Formats: sequence, C-alpha cells, structure tokens
Amino acid sequence: MRNIVVTGLGFVCSIGNGKAAVRENLRELRHGIEPYEPFSDPRSPVKLIGAIKGFDTRSPDSEDWTWPSDVSIKRDVLRGLAPHGLYAYYALVHAIADAGLAPSEVSNPATGIFTASAGSVSMIYHNLTRMFASGVMRCSPMGVVNSVVGTLSFNLVAAFKILGASCGFASACASSGHALGYARDEIALGRHDRMFVVGGEDGNLEAILPFAGMRALSQAETPELASCPFDRRRNGFVGTGGAAVMVLEEENLARSRGAHIYARFDGWGQASDGYSPAISHPEGLGLVASMNRCLASAGVTPAQVDYVNAHATSTPIGDRSEILAIKKVFSGGRMPSVSSTKGLTGHGLSMSSILEAAICCLALDEQFIPGNAHLREPDPEAAGLVLPVKTKSADLRIALSNSSGFGGANTSLLFRRL
Amino acid sequence: MSNPTPTPPLPQNGEQELRETLKRCSAETIEAAIQFRQAKNPELANAIVVGILARFLEREQREKLHGESDYLRLSEDLGVDSLTMVEVVMLVEEVLQISIKNEDLRDLRTIGDVKAYVNAVARGLPPPEPPKAVGIAEIVEVMPHQHPFLFLQEAELRAKEARGTYRISGQEFFLQGHFKDRPVFPASLQLEALGQLGVLLLLKGKIAGVEGRVDPTSIYFTSCMGIRCVRPCLPGDVLTLSVRPRRVKPPAVTFEGVVTVNGEKAAFAEEITLVFGYAAEGSGSGAAQGAGAGATTSAAAVATAKQPELKQPESAVSGLGAATKSAPKKHAGRKSAVAKSGHVRG
Repeated sequence: MRNIVVTGLGFVCSIGNGKAAVRENLRELRHGIEPYEPFSDPRSPVKLIGAIKGFDTRSPDSEDWTWPSDVSIKRDVLRGLAPHGLYAYYALVHAIADAGLAPSEVSNPATGIFTASAGSVSMIYHNLTRMFASGVMRCSPMGVVNSVVGTLSFNLVAAFKILGASCGFASACASSGHALGYARDEIALGRHDRMFVVGGEDGNLEAILPFAGMRALSQAETPELASCPFDRRRNGFVGTGGAAVMVLEEENLARSRGAHIYARFDGWGQASDGYSPAISHPEGLGLVASMNRCLASAGVTPAQVDYVNAHATSTPIGDRSEILAIKKVFSGGRMPSVSSTKGLTGHGLSMSSILEAAICCLALDEQFIPGNAHLREPDPEAAGLVLPVKTKSADLRIALSNSSGFGGANTSLLFRRL
Repeated sequence: MSNPTPTPPLPQNGEQELRETLKRCSAETIEAAIQFRQAKNPELANAIVVGILARFLEREQREKLHGESDYLRLSEDLGVDSLTMVEVVMLVEEVLQISIKNEDLRDLRTIGDVKAYVNAVARGLPPPEPPKAVGIAEIVEVMPHQHPFLFLQEAELRAKEARGTYRISGQEFFLQGHFKDRPVFPASLQLEALGQLGVLLLLKGKIAGVEGRVDPTSIYFTSCMGIRCVRPCLPGDVLTLSVRPRRVKPPAVTFEGVVTVNGEKAAFAEEITLVFGYAAEGSGSGAAQGAGAGATTSAAAVATAKQPELKQPESAVSGLGAATKSAPKKHAGRKSAVAKSGHVRG
C-alpha cells in the first residue's frame, strides 16, 4: 500500500504569507480581517474582507502589480496570471522550497498538479469591458488565459514545467478538497509519486461582493462580529482570497530524500446533499456521509479523531447544518475538539479547503488545536460539541477537515501525525 | 516664404493618453511617439517600433538591441513568442494609428522585417513582399556549390536582403586541420558562406537592377573589402548569414554581409562583389553574357589572398563563389582593383 504524506506548505492568506506567520497568528488568534477600500462605496453593504498583505493587484494590468520581493516573476509569466495566479505562484514557490524539491523533482513525469479556482471574475470583467469599449482586437492576447476557470492550471503548469497530470476542480467551496482528495488517489494508485495541490481566489470586490446578493456576507463592521462561526450572533461570512499549496508525496519517496513530514494524508470522503444549489441540507445529510466515508477510507473510528476543522463560515444556516452533522457522526463517543479557523481568515471559497487542510497539518506538526476566534455565545444547537475558544497545545494525532460547497458538495479529509 | 500649414497640436488629453499607453517604454520612445502624432513624420516609425518592442523584452534580450539589430530574429534571438508579438502589434497599431494584418504577422521574422513593414504601412505604401523561404532541397538543386563545399542549409529571400543559416556540425573535413585539436570554423569560409548566400539571392531572389534569369554557371567572386571577424565560430554554432545588395551594375553586384551567432556578431563584410551572366533565352542553363572561359587569375588570386588559413594547394580551387571556374575574361581587367580592395583587415 502506498501512503501519502504532506511535505511542503505554502500560504498567501489574510493571516500571513508563509507558514511561520500563519502558525503564529493561529496560536495567538490574530485575525486578518480589515475594512476594504473598494467596499467603502456607500452602495456596498459589506465593509470587511480577509485582507491579503504585501501584494497589490488592484490594477487590471498585471505589470502594475507588486508582491513580496523574495519571489521574482518574469513578464511572460506574469501576463497570463489573474490576481490569484500571482498568489498561487508565490505560494507554490514557497511550498517547493519548504519541501526541499530540486527543479528535476518539480519538472518530472511523476509529478503532477491539481488546482482549485473559480477563475477570475475581475479579469473577465475587465477583459470584456475592454472588448466592448475598444474592440476585440485591442484586447490582451492573454485575456482568456488570465481569467477563465482553469487559469491556475494553464499558468502554473507552464511556469513550473509540470510534466505529470494537471487538471482543475470547480466545486465551489469544496473545490480544493476535491483537488486534494483526487491528488491523494493519484499517488495511492501509483500513477504519480508527487502532486502539488493549489487553491486560489482573487478575494477582491468582484469575487466577493456578489455573495451579498444572496445575503451570505456579513454586514457587520467589526471583525469580531463579522466572522464568528458557531456563535449565536453570526450573520454571514467575510470573504477572502489568496492561495494555499500542499506538496503530497508517496511516503517512502519522501523518507528516502529525508523530507520533513507534516502529516500523513490517510483518507478522504465526499458526498452530496441532493437538496439545493446554494443552501446546505438542514441536517447536513451530505456532510455526514462525507465524514463517514472519510473515516472508513482511513480506517479510523469517530472516537479516534482529536480535532475537526469545520467548514463553518459564520452563516446561520450553514453552521447549523454542520453542527448537526458533526453531532450525528461523533455523538455517543469521545468528542473531538471542533473549530472553524474562518473566524481568523475569513472564507476563501475555492481555496478554503486546502487552506484549512494545511492549517491542520501545521497543527499536527506543532501539536496545537486552533481556537474558535470570536466565539462568545455558542449557538444553543452546538451544546455537546467541544468548541475551544483559545488555541491550546494538545496531543493531536488525528485531524479531520470538512468543506461544503454550492450544490451541496461536501468533502472531508483526514490527516494523521506520524 | 509662405507659412507652413500649422499641424494641429496633439490635444492635451491625447498626449496624456499616449504617455499612459507607453508608460513602460523609454522616454525617447514616448517623445518620438508624441512627435509622430503631431507631425506625422514617418521617419520616427522605426524608433517607435523598436522602443515598443524593447519594452516587452527581458533585460538581457533588451541589451541586444543596442547597435546593429536589424538582423536579430524576434523568436530565436529575442525570445519574442507569438503572443508577445500580438502585444507589440496592438501597441504599435494604437500609437502609430495604423492597422497591421494578422496574416502579415507571420512573415515578420526579424527586427528589420518589422521596421520595413511598419515603415511602409506608416507611409501608406503596400507592405514589402513577404520573404521567400528556400529549403535545403531547393538550395542543393539550384546552387552550383555542393557538399562538402556548401555552407547554406536554409534561407529566406527578401527584396533587399537574403538571410540564411549554416550549422557547424563539427564533421567538416577542414576542421581536422583548422586547428590542431581545436576545431574553429575558418573566417574565410564565413565569407564563403556569405558569398554563397549572395549566389542564392541572384538565382532565386529578386534584386532591383538584375533583370532576367541568372545563369548559375556564370557567377564568380571578384572582390571583397572591409572584412572584420570578431568571434571564433565553433562546432555547434549556428551561423546566421545575411547579405544585402549595395550596388547593382550588371554584370557585377556588390553585397554587404554579416554573420551572427545567437544574435552576436561574428563577421562583417562591407563589400562582397560577384559577377554574373544571364541565362540564354529559352535555354535552361549555359553561358550567356559575360560567362566565358577565361583567366583564373583574379578570382583565384583573391581566393588565395582571402583564405590564408586554407594552407593547401587546392585553395585556389575552393575560393569564394564559384571560383573553381575561371572568372570571365571581361573582368580580368579588374585584377588590380580587386587586389587593392580584397585585403583582409582583421
């Protein structure tokens, strides 16, 4: 049997660029939520965002962008990128360095890449605006490549000379959970030895504000009230963007090259609600099935799970569904600690699943359980769940991470400390 | 003296817009563009086009544009892919207010091509004819030179320039002795390769002033001058050859020629002169005007003078052009002039 381990992490997110900053902010429960200048327009009912720091991608012209100087990017790469392509490029460079991979191990027939992104609404908007104003022959030749769903794969495969599998996943907020799960399978089946998994989101006005139309965004003006999963006062999510990257490798290969192993990725499950295109099943039907499949695939009983990183985005309906689902799976035995790190990061949509999986890996590696930031008055439905408020050191062995997307798509991923 | 018609100045916001459009170009490019818009001076088109192109290049490629750049190939020497070319075209179209046809784009292979094209379009003239590609099969078919003395593998013929390539395989017979344990492609043979490209242009191209079909057996080298060889060429190098007609006075045609390797100049000839004769009408080949048997003196003398590296008695037989044949009698009188100008300067 081929085991799959996590040997590299890369982050560009509201609580830090790079694992050191992310770890510190998780431990200290420092959130990354700020007022967002484009939301200052009085017509925007939403004011806050999970702010990405150190990058400026406001211009539709990628040559205007700035990013931390430790990564250099050539113009012919940059021109094909959406904002989240830049974040993903940066995070992938960091993850490759973190895993200690040589160029020949990156560009190798046994190394593939799976991506999760919903494309770039802002780039599509700018490209079409230009097309209608100036004519199609005055549009950037990279206008398709830098915007449509698939943009992450197109660009990263070329820039990093990936020779193995490459494909993208679009299942909304479960996208990067699917990307991780299928990447794991790709190695388990012996088709690849190493996979990069990348989730990215622009996290700008065009990507986030439309969710206000469905009343999914919090209109609160203080971070503590805006992103407070499982709290009785929760009123919607705070959007964010960035990118998160994980390097998955076959365990023997990782050991033979002396790689640092964060955790072993022992199984995953997925299931659907069959209920609504946008609203989660009231009892969390699909999520229950997803968690049970995940546990079965990893050969783990519910009582063995120490920590559940919940999808909970701070919406009234979604958090309630997940509370019920977790109770259904775990009640009657030893209850795991449950927290949603979205209280700190905001909700990163397509990237949220991999961001939280990577957070689980950091937690397993460093033996802590992230707290529920901003949880003051737990939802009465959550009675019986273990919802730590502060981050605490713990003997953490098994962590499970949930994600739920539009269409009732659910994924659960299980990681084990070795 | 009457007042010249005042050219309407660029509207203030027009200039700002132009500056914004060209914001990543050099200050000279921006100024040239503003002047171009104000005065519609097509002389500025070249500077603007090269300035726009430079803005899309990585730094190390951009440096190649200093100095003689017409020979540089967009793709191979400058790393400009077809998508970058579209970016260049869009900006050029916007700034020069011209329209560049998609189907013309693939014919623009060198900086010189781009300049010539934009120059014509900016003046409202028809674009120059696209280059004619000549492959190895056709080269072997039409050239009087053959293996192992053919230094041309593919070529592109334009109205005012021929370009060809030759890859030094390392298996060339003369490399055994040039030099001992250290194969270096002889500088004299770089000139030979340029001469052969001139022959090909005479046979397959169109040179203004050469009216009629040229007899391949009638072409001979007569002189060269202003030769500078500045880079040793080694096995594996691809010689990029370029010749341009400078003077055409049938039966003589004088080219200037350049050899580059990977965009780096290897050799330069101010003048390489060939003589030729026209094919007899109705006949496929054969002697015509100026092509007769005659003294070997001038061609052979020059060949010897020019190829001191080839220290073999056959050197006179393997001279530039078709020097194995005798030069036409008619030009024997040029001997002294040739001797004077045919010295190798460096």
